[in-house]
Amino acid sequence: MTISTEPMDGDITRVLLDGRLDIQGAAAIDLRMNVLAGSSKFLLIDLTNVSFLGSMGLRSIIIPAQAVRRRGGKVALLRPTQMVEEVLKASNVDQIIPIFHDLDSAVGALC
Amino acid sequence: MLMDSPHDRLELDSQLTELIRLRSWIDLVTNHLDFAEEDRFAVQLCVEEAVANIILHGYRSEAGHPIIVRTCASAERTLTITIDDQAPPFSPIEHHSHLPNDMKPLSLESITPGGNGIRLLHGFSGSLSYERLADGNRLIMAFPAP
Repeated sequence: MTISTEPMDGDITRVLLDGRLDIQGAAAIDLRMNVLAGSSKFLLIDLTNVSFLGSMGLRSIIIPAQAVRRRGGKVALLRPTQMVEEVLKASNVDQIIPIFHDLDSAVGALC
Repeated sequence: MLMDSPHDRLELDSQLTELIRLRSWIDLVTNHLDFAEEDRFAVQLCVEEAVANIILHGYRSEAGHPIIVRTCASAERTLTITIDDQAPPFSPIEHHSHLPNDMKPLSLESITPGGNGIRLLHGFSGSLSYERLADGNRLIMAFPAP
């Protein structure tokens, strides 16, 4: 699992995740995600290249999202694959963190 | 009918590094049965969640305890996966009945980051059952095979 970031207009930090967000993947990104959650106002988590999402991976999304929200910011998820989106829906995460399949809509929702 | 495969039984030790071996083994099993990508995902998800739950909560991350995973493909085109452990009694079926109502509106502030593993097990397995063994637990998951 790899993580990289890309600053965008509107004070948005795009977080690009790549690989399996399972228990090992979660361990690999948690520290960086928490640092980003403490320093970013708007977080766009790009799931395009996430091939697998388990419950520990969900924690790696939910906990930083809660931290951003507590500081008055917003979080959105971008382009999950069909099965990753099904995991997000089965765990009700889609009800509390919006999912977008195009970048413009995601940016518009964050700003 | 038992699946004609050398990959019908895997014994794991109770440590998270074993999940890597488990993943490779599930890949072999589902490839052998020509599972589609989304079905393979569902099997991987359920088995990994179940085994991780046993290691983290059943054995409290203590290495040296066995987890036995078995597969059986039936003539009815069902892949059945049985997971045995020797941890204290825990029924994911009973636990699931105590989880918050799935239809209840949630807020990001109120959602608990944990507890999703059991929910995912129920959501992605075709069927799920539990048996209390004399010395542990048995979880049985079934998935429709192609």
